[in-house]
Amino acid sequence: MRYLIEPFGSPFMQRALAEALLLGAVAAVVSVFVVLRRLAFVSDVLTHTVFPGVVIGFVVAGTGGIVWGALVFAVLSAVLITVLAARSRVTEDASMAIVLTGFFAVGVVLVSRQTSFTSDLTAFLFGRILTVDRQQLVMTAVLGAAVLLLLGLLGKELLFRAFDPAGAEARGYRVLVLDLVLNLAVALVVVAAVRAVGTVLVIALLVVPGAAGRLLSDRLAGIALVAVGTALLAGWLGLVASWQASVNHELRLASGATVVLVLVLLYGAAAGIAALRKVRT
Amino acid sequence: MSLFADGYARRALIEALLVGALCGLVGVHVVLRKLSFFTMAMTHATFPGVVLAALVGVDLLLGSGLFGVFVVLGVSWLSTRPRSDSAAAVGVVLSAGFALGVALLSAQAGFTRDLSAFLVGSIVTVQTGDLVKTALVLVAVGLTLALVGKELVFGAFDRGGLVAAGYPAGRLDLLLLLLIQLTVVSSVPAVGTIQAVALIVAPAATARLWSDRIAPTTVLAVLLGMASGVVGLAVSQAYAVAAGAAIVLAACGFFMLSVMVAPLVRRRPVPVGVG
Repeated sequence: MRYLIEPFGSPFMQRALAEALLLGAVAAVVSVFVVLRRLAFVSDVLTHTVFPGVVIGFVVAGTGGIVWGALVFAVLSAVLITVLAARSRVTEDASMAIVLTGFFAVGVVLVSRQTSFTSDLTAFLFGRILTVDRQQLVMTAVLGAAVLLLLGLLGKELLFRAFDPAGAEARGYRVLVLDLVLNLAVALVVVAAVRAVGTVLVIALLVVPGAAGRLLSDRLAGIALVAVGTALLAGWLGLVASWQASVNHELRLASGATVVLVLVLLYGAAAGIAALRKVRT
Repeated sequence: MSLFADGYARRALIEALLVGALCGLVGVHVVLRKLSFFTMAMTHATFPGVVLAALVGVDLLLGSGLFGVFVVLGVSWLSTRPRSDSAAAVGVVLSAGFALGVALLSAQAGFTRDLSAFLVGSIVTVQTGDLVKTALVLVAVGLTLALVGKELVFGAFDRGGLVAAGYPAGRLDLLLLLLIQLTVVSSVPAVGTIQAVALIVAPAATARLWSDRIAPTTVLAVLLGMASGVVGLAVSQAYAVAAGAAIVLAACGFFMLSVMVAPLVRRRPVPVGVG
């Protein structure tokens, strides 16, 4: 047990843990919808389209500007993607892939103009969870609360739309608006996570917990419970693993990536449990 | 063309042309079968293969190609699990691949420099050996598509019909996935893992806007892929920006332009996409 608590003696690790747990919980709730609506690709697109916003924010206003730049691009791209999905001349997946890489390339072009190209790029892409400060924690909490509020208010409608889009439309719900709300929620999670885990690894937080929940339960509450539990456990164990490996075993492991790897391992465990259950019944 | 006078710049140009042609060829099938997200996942999941190959000192193509085979198998196995659909499966594999790649790299010294080369490409550092490899892959992929291209297109439009006609549909699907994987791996040095998908999808999607027939679409896609490479390189040299990203933006630029212009020029309405 000491092995699992020991890493969090120092304040920076405590802050990292708080950030990981906060992000994990919020992202896990969103991931339930992502998995039910099969929005994995959309989430991946949003994680990349936020990237140029991160770069522009950083160039204009330093590290403090990152979140605001990301926020602007998140909202922009959420709208763009919702519209593209609804009425696209090309097949949806192709236009998404082009939007994704186009936005991303703009970000790379902008970063490549900076003198500290490579280290900036890595920070933007993979984040630095160990340097999270109090202000960032507050920002994450605020964005997380906004996302949960959005989902709390419209959760029923979003579910209705997920399972029966035609029915929702017939009942007078604006499906396009509901889609926009969910895409916005995903985008806000990306913004909240951008400085801590970076734009690339957020996709894991947005897909894997929900997918694990789906493996173990058919009921919404069950899926959400497993998803949140998985994400929290992964945040904690991932940080422990990365700290212990770096300090005691002289093996440097990037913290964000380790958290994601633990998350995937937990998904694997869920798949194993699901398979065992199937054999028994 | 004075921009391409130096040896490294000439090599970069040849690489861009080869990769552009390769991506255009394979891209047509990716767009027809709506495999963009899968390709995306392949590009991300190939990343640890590239890292592993670089660490162990094996050839990049070989290392990441082998890893890619595991990825293909992983995705198809996960998608057949109960209560798991292919989008989620691809998402999980994608996350796993990327995190593994980053974790492996972070254990190394010189972390950030290598990482960015893998992620966004560094075409100006390609060697003659890389060019030969890309050319070989292009020939191999071109020959394969010349042999089974018809069957692949058949399968894209009517898989049931393909099975009924007695073709090994499953093996053809797998072959296509392997071709995509090979293309992704070959374009990593030029545009990097994240952006390879753009060079595969964008020229083909652009060509699709101008033609409904396979042969002209393919020719156009190949030309557009090569043109994106040249334009991107020229822009990157003139304005000192990342070459891979400039190539991708050129490909996206052609696409945006065609989205606006094609419907005005073509008399028949462009087919409305699914979804």
